[in-house]
Formats: sequence, C-alpha cells, structure tokens
Amino acid sequence: MMQPALHSTPRPREVLREHARVLGRALRIPAVAVVGLMVLATLLVISEVPRQGGGIDFHPERYMLPALLGLVFPIVVWRGEDRFGPGFLWTLPVDRRRHALAKVSAGWIWLMSAVALFVLWLFALTLLSGGSVLGEETVRVLSSPVPAPGTFADPGAVQTVRLAPQPLYWLTPFTAATGAYLLASALALGLRHPLRWIVGAALGLQLVVIAGDATNVEWLAQLPSRLLQPLYAGPYGIDTLVSARTESVEVRVTLPTGERVRAWRALPHLGRWAAATLLWTGVGLAILWAAASRHRELRRS
Amino acid sequence: MLVNLDPHDARPLYLQIMDEVRRALVVGTLRPEDPLPSVRELASELVVNPRTVLQAYRELEREGVVYVRRGQGTFVAPDVHSGRQERLALGREVAKRALLEARRSGLGVEELLTFIREVAAEEEGEPSPAVSAANPGDEE
Amino acid sequence: MSAYAVATHGLSKRYGGETALDRVDLRVPDGAVYVLVGANGAGKSTTLRVLMNLVRPDSGTAEVLGMDTGRRGAEVRAQVGYVPDGRNPAYPRMTCGRLLQHVAIFYPAWDAAYAGDLMRAFDLQADRRVGTLSKGEARRLHLVLALAHRPPLLLLDEPTDGLDPVVRRTALALLAEHIADTPTTVLISTHQIHEVESLADHVGVLRAGRLTAQMSRDELQRTVRRYRVEVPEGWKPPPELRVAGLRRSSTGREIQWTLVGEEREVVERLTLAGGRVREAKPLTLEDAAVAFLTEEVTG
Repeated sequence: MMQPALHSTPRPREVLREHARVLGRALRIPAVAVVGLMVLATLLVISEVPRQGGGIDFHPERYMLPALLGLVFPIVVWRGEDRFGPGFLWTLPVDRRRHALAKVSAGWIWLMSAVALFVLWLFALTLLSGGSVLGEETVRVLSSPVPAPGTFADPGAVQTVRLAPQPLYWLTPFTAATGAYLLASALALGLRHPLRWIVGAALGLQLVVIAGDATNVEWLAQLPSRLLQPLYAGPYGIDTLVSARTESVEVRVTLPTGERVRAWRALPHLGRWAAATLLWTGVGLAILWAAASRHRELRRS
Repeated sequence: MLVNLDPHDARPLYLQIMDEVRRALVVGTLRPEDPLPSVRELASELVVNPRTVLQAYRELEREGVVYVRRGQGTFVAPDVHSGRQERLALGREVAKRALLEARRSGLGVEELLTFIREVAAEEEGEPSPAVSAANPGDEE
Repeated sequence: MSAYAVATHGLSKRYGGETALDRVDLRVPDGAVYVLVGANGAGKSTTLRVLMNLVRPDSGTAEVLGMDTGRRGAEVRAQVGYVPDGRNPAYPRMTCGRLLQHVAIFYPAWDAAYAGDLMRAFDLQADRRVGTLSKGEARRLHLVLALAHRPPLLLLDEPTDGLDPVVRRTALALLAEHIADTPTTVLISTHQIHEVESLADHVGVLRAGRLTAQMSRDELQRTVRRYRVEVPEGWKPPPELRVAGLRRSSTGREIQWTLVGEEREVVERLTLAGGRVREAKPLTLEDAAVAFLTEEVTG
C-alpha cells in the first residue's frame, strides 16, 4: 500500500498563539475580579487623598505586587496539567520541551499585560490624586548605622537629599515580574512537587538556626541569614531586581524631636539596578532551560 | 439484503459473508443485476474490517457470482441462475457442519441421514413413508 | 521494516517491582487492525504510551511508520490518533466545540467537517462543557479527536470502555467506516476481545509482560485448534507440542487441549503418542486469545 504523505506538525507560532488564547480565556474571571478591586481601590484612594494632602507620586518600582504576581502566575498557567505524567498536553504533536516553553511564554505574555495594567492604574492614581510623575523627590538619607529601636538618631546623620526622576526605573515592575515568573516556572517544570521543596527548604534553614542556637554555635545559627541577606538585600540582590532596592533600604527612625520619619540607608543606583536585572534574568532563563530540559524527548540511548 | 454473522462461527469472516450472499440469492432476496451494499456500508453494518468485505466481494467476483461496475459498485451477475451453484455451495457448507457435529457425537454418516429424515418428518406433521416402511413397529 | 506501521524491539518497562513489558517485539503490519489483548495491568497501555513517547522504556526501541519514537516524538504523534485509557479529557471548563478548535490547531490535517459529522454521529453537543461529560461521552469525544484528522495510525486504548452496548456498536461501526474511507492502521488495546473481534485481522497476546502470541487472523485460523483427544490411562503428552492454554480433562480418558501448529502435524504427533483425535475445532479469535492468556496446566 502506498504510504501517503506524512502529516506535518503545527507551526510554533500557531502553538504559542493558541496557548495564549486558552490562557486568556482561563484568566477572564480573575481579571474581572482584579478590575473590580482596582476600581474599589481607586475610589478609596480618591476619597482619602484630599484628607491627607499631597498626591501619590508615580513610582511603580516601589511596589512588590508585580513580583508577587510573577511568582504565583505559574500556578494559573499549569493548573490542571499533568506536568510529569502522560498528560493531554504531551500527547499533542509538539516537541515536549518546546511545548513546555511555549506554555511558559504564553503565560509571560499575559503576565506582562497584567503588569502593564497595574502600572497604568498607578499612573491614573497619580494623576487623579495630583501627585507628580517626573518631579524631583525629597528623601532623607541616614549616613550612620541604623539606631537601635527606642534610641534617637543622630540628627547630623540624617540628611535631606533631592532625588532626580529616573524613568528607567519604570521598567522595574516588568523586569521584576519576569524574573519572579522565570524562577517560579522553573520550579513548576523542574519539580514534581515544588511546594514540598519550598516548604522543605524553609524548614531546613529554620532547623539550621535552631541547631545553632541549641548548640550555641553562633556561626551556624547565623548561617541562613548570612547567606540570604546579601542574596536578597545586597547591592545586586533580589530586592534590587524587584524594587531597585528601595524596599530593603527603607527604615524608620525617630528623631530627637520625637518625630518618626522614613529614611533610606542608601540611594538607588541605576547601574547596579541594571546589572542586577540582567543577572537575575539570566539566572532565571538558565534555570528555566534546565527545568524544561527535564522534559526533553530525545532518548538517552 | 439482511446479513447476519454468527459470533461463534469460527470460519473466516469473508466466507461467512459469501455464504450470506449466496443464501440471499437462493432464497430470492437478491436477484440478477441487484446491487450489493457498498463495502463501506456492509463493513459498518456488520462491524467488520472493510478489507474482509472486500475479500468476500472479490472471491464472489472470481467465482462469477457478482461483478463490479466501475464507479457504481458491486452487482449480482446477470447470468447467475438463482439457485444452482449457490445452492450447491450452501448445501455443501451445511453438510460439512452437520458432519462435524455428528463426528463429535460419535455418529456415522448413515445414522445421521436416518435421523435427519426422521426429524424432518416429525416436523412436517406426518410420518414419512420411508420411515414407516423401515420401522413398522415404531409407534413412539 | 517499512512493511510494519508499528514495530518494537525488545521493549521492556518495569514499574517498581512489577514488570509491565518484558522484551516485547510487537509487529503491526501496515493497514492492519491489530488487537492487543491482555489482562488488566498487563502493560498494554504502557505499550501505547511508549509509542506516543509519553513514557520512556527501560530498554528497547520502538518505531512508528519507520520513525524512532524516542527521537522523533512530535512527528510520530502528528501521524497518530490516540485514545488514552480512562483519563478524562483536559480542560474541564472548556466546551466540546472549543476543545475541537483547540486540538485542530495542532493538527494541520484536521478535517473540520468530518469532526462535525462525528460529533453528530456520537450524539455529542458542542456547547457541553468537557467536565460535565459522562465517562462514555468523554470516551466518544476522545474518539472524535483521534479520528478527525484522519491519521495514518490509530492507537486506541480500551476505546469502548464505559460505553453502553448500543453506543459501542455505533462507535465500532463508525470505526469500520473510517477504515473504509481512510487508509489506516489500527492498534486496539483491550481486555474485552469480543466486541472488536470482527474488526480485527491480527492479534497479539500480552501475558505478564511477554508477547506470548502474535499472528494474523488467517494464521490463527490455520494453526490454532481445540483438540479433543481420547487417551489411554496414564498418558504422557509428547513434549514438542506448542501449547496454548488449559488442558482440560473431562473424564480422565478424554482431554480437551488447545494447540498451535499445522493440523496434520499435530494430529500425527498426538496419534503417534498414543492418543486418538476425535475433533480438531478451529477457534474464534476470542476463544484463541483466552486460551493464550490462561496459564498452561501441566501434569
């Protein structure tokens, strides 16, 4: 019997588009809920602002929400899929590793849309509340070590500085969300039970601390925080990626006048921010590739 | 044409189909120049592999019972004397099966023939003259 | 090699302590309707999953239409219509119609009109949500998804499982029509041989992971017989007979035995050994398969 021509596999662009469509459908209801919340929040802010005086300045990089969203997005993307078994997704005529990455990419497209919506909303809030978009900002900088709670800060150590606007930081929500998404997607694809690993790691670190305390070995008890501190709050740490390091540098100090003010221990540095972004995005891509390769189809033989 | 296949018949399916066609011819349901159901239809109706139906039709064509009209399907051959050859072939199949059963039960050919005539007569409702002549004392 | 639509070479797979497949050499000729039978958990599903490259075997290789399933998984799957066992179709919130559209994107050879006909023939409504389908309806939907792109190979895992008798017949009749319309090779894995018997022209029997028998229907017709043999007291069976299935002894002097081989040879061997063959009965596919599945009782 003459063998008819082989059926072809679908084009990658079609596959990506279809996954984006399906995911979009699945996000409809959460999207409506989110928009509802946004409207509520807007109304709240509008009513509060005239009372407090002064508007909300436009600093999209100072919110953790985009990163958190990126972290949990893979849950939605991979919901209902049998990632490691003979799931329906893998019965389709697409190379398994590529297919996994296509799904991750489709999720990323929607994630960026959500972040864009968030940034636009912040922008609207700024306009509505009369805040400044590109205006200079006055911040206090603490040049001495952070005073112990309860004590006063040395007034000479607290200086006021005028910060120039830096629109490049407006990219932060997108890069932060992307970085978080890459990491979380890698966990979802690479581990059968990512939650178990996360909880296990947290418990493990906690055990190290307890062990250190119990045996009075100080370096052991301090090990987890010594490892994690620079990873998170260091100049090239995760927080730099996520909030241009504005999150972790902020402290509250009490001035001798009794006034409690916010001060920064360090100013945001554009160069370091760019470097951290590139670093963590690169790491995320590498881990994602490794995780996706767990699904590759080529047999070891 | 109604076709029925016996699930417990271990003979090749295509032979069973051929027999059914012959049966239809003998009984008169199928007449010369009548169309046979298409391979697709019959395969679907009987839930058999279309290749089996094709095989049956080809064999029948080889025997001259049917012929194929290009683009129109399979038809009963015009010169088929409804009966003769088909009757013969069918009859032989029936006989084969009966003999098989008989052998299993340890019966011989002559015995079998006697019993066949007896039972046939009973079903007719009147004693067959051959039987009463052979067994005059057999009233039960 | 190209004469076989599916060929496996020494395929082995273990799950924990259980052997699902043990050096299986499956051969499905091009255009055949091959029924793979075996008890539940016999590795039939595993075989199909290996062919779809959903599962990696411990050893051995498999080829579909000449392509190595391990290296060209996506291309292989583009040629296959697969009905998985027991699983519910994915995306429970999707409607059937939307799922068809979704799958159509992945198969450029999709025939939308045919898909619509199949939906009607199977009595499935496009606006039903996939998650609300009953087990039987879900099975039928899987069949539609498998047939609609007219693939050269169909891999059906228990295709009639969960279908009531009427729907079963409809499904198989549609399959027969599909085969008549499209040159297709079909590999059906099932533990219910009876329903698909009339469609099959090849059979393979998987027992404890081993392929104990694999032959065409013709060969089965020719070589597998149930023999009734009269034997003297204390009869010892000749050792070179290829046995399939139980040897039943009805009275001690007559045994019923399913044997494989040319009838003349087998009868000769039995007679030489002192037996008297009363009957050599050919078997239906189902009876033969059952015989191959049962353990041989010796002594």
